[in-house]
Amino acid sequence: MKKIILSLVVVLVSLVSMAQKPEYYQAMGETLGQYANCKSVADFQELGNKFQVIAAAEKSEWLPLYYHANCYIIMSFMEQDATKKDGYLDVAEKSITSMLEMVPSESEAFVLQAFYLVGRLVVNPMERGQEYSGLSGQALGKALALDATNPRAQMLKIQMDMGSAQFTGQDPKSFCPAAKELLANWDNFKPKSPIHPNWGKDQAEGIVKGCE
Amino acid sequence: MKRTVISIISLLFCLNAFSQTVITGRVTEEKGEPLPGANTYLQGTYDGASSGENGVFKFKTAKSGTQVLKVEFIGYEPFIQNLELKGDTIRVNVKLKEAFNQLNAVTITAGTFEASDKKQAVTITPIDMVTTAGAAGDVYGALQSLPGTTVNGESGRLFVKGGDSEESQTYIDGSLVSVPYNSSAPNQATRGRFNPFMFKGTIFSTGGYSAEYGQALSSVLLLNTNDMPAEDQLDLSILMVGLEVAGTKLWKNGAVTGTLSYNNLQPYMSLAPQNYDWAKAPESANGAVSVRQKTSKTGMLKFYSSFDNGGFTLSQQNLDAGGTPIDYQLTNGNQFMNASWNDKLGEKWAVSTAASFTNNADDIQFDQTTVAEQIQGTHLKSVFSYPFSEKFILKMGGELFSKKFSQNVIMPVETHDNSFTNHTFAGFTEAQIYASTKFVARIGGRVEYSDYLNSFTLSPRFSAAYKITDKSQFSAAYGWFYQNPVDDYLLYTDLLKPERADHCTFSFQSSANSRTIRAELYYKDYKDLVKLTGGEFYLPTSYNNSGSGYAKGLDLFWRDKKSIKNGDYWVSYSYVDTKRDYRNFPEEAIPTFTSKHNLSVVYKHWLGKLRSLASANFRYSSPRVYNDPNSSVFNGEKMLAYRSLDLSWSFLYRQHIIIYAAATNVLDFKNEFGQRYSNNPDANGQYPGAAIQPGSNQFYVLGCFITLSRKGNANQLDKIE
Repeated sequence: MKKIILSLVVVLVSLVSMAQKPEYYQAMGETLGQYANCKSVADFQELGNKFQVIAAAEKSEWLPLYYHANCYIIMSFMEQDATKKDGYLDVAEKSITSMLEMVPSESEAFVLQAFYLVGRLVVNPMERGQEYSGLSGQALGKALALDATNPRAQMLKIQMDMGSAQFTGQDPKSFCPAAKELLANWDNFKPKSPIHPNWGKDQAEGIVKGCE
Repeated sequence: MKRTVISIISLLFCLNAFSQTVITGRVTEEKGEPLPGANTYLQGTYDGASSGENGVFKFKTAKSGTQVLKVEFIGYEPFIQNLELKGDTIRVNVKLKEAFNQLNAVTITAGTFEASDKKQAVTITPIDMVTTAGAAGDVYGALQSLPGTTVNGESGRLFVKGGDSEESQTYIDGSLVSVPYNSSAPNQATRGRFNPFMFKGTIFSTGGYSAEYGQALSSVLLLNTNDMPAEDQLDLSILMVGLEVAGTKLWKNGAVTGTLSYNNLQPYMSLAPQNYDWAKAPESANGAVSVRQKTSKTGMLKFYSSFDNGGFTLSQQNLDAGGTPIDYQLTNGNQFMNASWNDKLGEKWAVSTAASFTNNADDIQFDQTTVAEQIQGTHLKSVFSYPFSEKFILKMGGELFSKKFSQNVIMPVETHDNSFTNHTFAGFTEAQIYASTKFVARIGGRVEYSDYLNSFTLSPRFSAAYKITDKSQFSAAYGWFYQNPVDDYLLYTDLLKPERADHCTFSFQSSANSRTIRAELYYKDYKDLVKLTGGEFYLPTSYNNSGSGYAKGLDLFWRDKKSIKNGDYWVSYSYVDTKRDYRNFPEEAIPTFTSKHNLSVVYKHWLGKLRSLASANFRYSSPRVYNDPNSSVFNGEKMLAYRSLDLSWSFLYRQHIIIYAAATNVLDFKNEFGQRYSNNPDANGQYPGAAIQPGSNQFYVLGCFITLSRKGNANQLDKIE
């Protein structure tokens, strides 16, 4: 019962805010709908461009910045050339910095920062491994401290722990029970609005699949 | 659910298009090449599109009146134009200008090896300094796998491009380290005093360096210490030769690290065969404190202080007494302090100030002779930089080097007590000018005044670099470099002036796909070198500046991190042709510290399944010369070529425990560094000699590094990976 009321409140609040900014919600909704169709660096760049346009028009909203940065982080993972990778991440970094100034206690913002730092690490794991795994661990720590139930923060944490287990002789499968539990409870986490971050279930399913 | 909501909203708030304006055009770069993916939109609206493959964009808008069209693309300056929207089609062709960004712009690489994780085109990183086999955790040992250096096994110091080891200077966070090496016995290799794990970045310049650096004829090594540590931790290192404990404690905007270590080679030397007799094996105790404090959003204050006490007694043959053994006993005390502060003053000015203080005392006893030497060095420096624009940066600064050197020699028959104090005042200025991202020039000059020598010098410095393609560039540097003569001469005379070397360097570098190739040609002209007239050493007039010399050569470097999976290798080769007429040389001759051909091949491999990093390093230096007083030809003898194959293995046993093993010269090549001779001839008029051998043919290290932190997953991987 309590849960239903809570969800209702959430829906109501979001509907009210949507009613106040119909154009914004429409544009965000349409643009978010195109995520699924993006397959290449060029696709994500085009999508990122759209979020940038919205971010420029809505100077007090953090979500356009969030998705703009997210597109460029994904681009850096898809790109082969190390210099370009860093170039995309430079763009993402700017948006993340502005976003964190706007919402300094938003758990999702720190999850994205952690994701961005993993992107930096991947460019040159040999030389950046130590520094950036520490930094992204810190960002995830902040995300979890702000909201321990955030499934994306939990998932990235499990992913990182599994990654470092390979190097330290620990069994990566020791994190499988946690991954299974996370997936089982994934849908219990309700995003604050339809345009709030809602990704990660696929990756969590991937982790659980890898456990079998 | 999400979709439904969105559709409903879309339906509810669908825009009514009364009159629509179409905005279309083409985005190109300056030369007319299309730029696909550029973002074109009306500022403050949701109307926009990305340019397609041919750079063409097209979008509709229901807005009217004056609107601002903005076009943005990575790496280019944004384009803005006012448009009057009237419901028809507007055509705008956009030419984007490449944005100037110092990180992407050309950098001057002539003579310089820069290591940091910020730049892609780096050749050697701080981690390499620690993991290169044969370096044994010594900063200078690792640098000897770079081109331009020559291995001098009986010294261990840095010898660069035909220069002597005294011609190289070391700076930590901008301030001079007066005594960078440990004290050692004659013909025994030494090591650097500093732990390489302290540093996050290094710049090793083998010539043609900036006007900011003086008092070095051959090279400068700039070491930058780590910034703020990440968390509280306790590190424990156990090596066969000693123990080290380091603790780090953080507070809000600062941190402190305390380190204590004790080394004693006695147990090791009793196990591994040694070429010399040690009456007392080298033993030392060190302590250091390092403090970091953020002084503002951009400012950082760093402080480091260390003490180091050590000593040994080595038994050497006295060639002047028929080879009977004599004890050479040395005790050393060294205190070093270093502080630096970097911050921004206002919007544009940047300041960095550094100070260092060294007090080093050596007490030596041998054959009824006692020598006490003390160096007290202070270095103060401030540098200000001001960017007039992104493309024009002016730097200026001043510094003071103060040095007091005293030497007290007590022999059975006589006593010498000498000292000198010198202050060198210096000022410099330098402009860095970018014509574009492809061309940069650095023009600067430096003035120095030494009060002890009453000499004044002016050093112009020029360097420039031109990017031929995205991946390749040419670079050139020219400059005059001055350095005061070595302490041993200044003790007796103030009639000298600084020695001088003019550097001319051309370099080509190309990096792509984690592969780097580099070739460098240089010419160094040595002037005003100190020459001994043959008079008594204690007479000021026995020294003058009539010496001269040259060094020219070719350095090649190739690094490839790509071709072998999990493997990384580099090859350095240097050719040096050099002669000098200085000090006690009767004529122009090749100095003893240079090899014509120098080769170093380093290979590293990460073995994922074994959680290990293996490294091998092969070094070769062609025979150096040495002087045999029994021969009529000066420096006419040849040593053996130097060869060594070194291996190291790091194993991550548990998340916080690393085991490290290394061995040098595993193939047991015979290495010898010429001969030393008696000071006086024997009854037959001959000078008896003895071979100079390395301390041992091979050296082994076995160690264990343990890190304890609150999180429990930090380790010292950065130390040896």
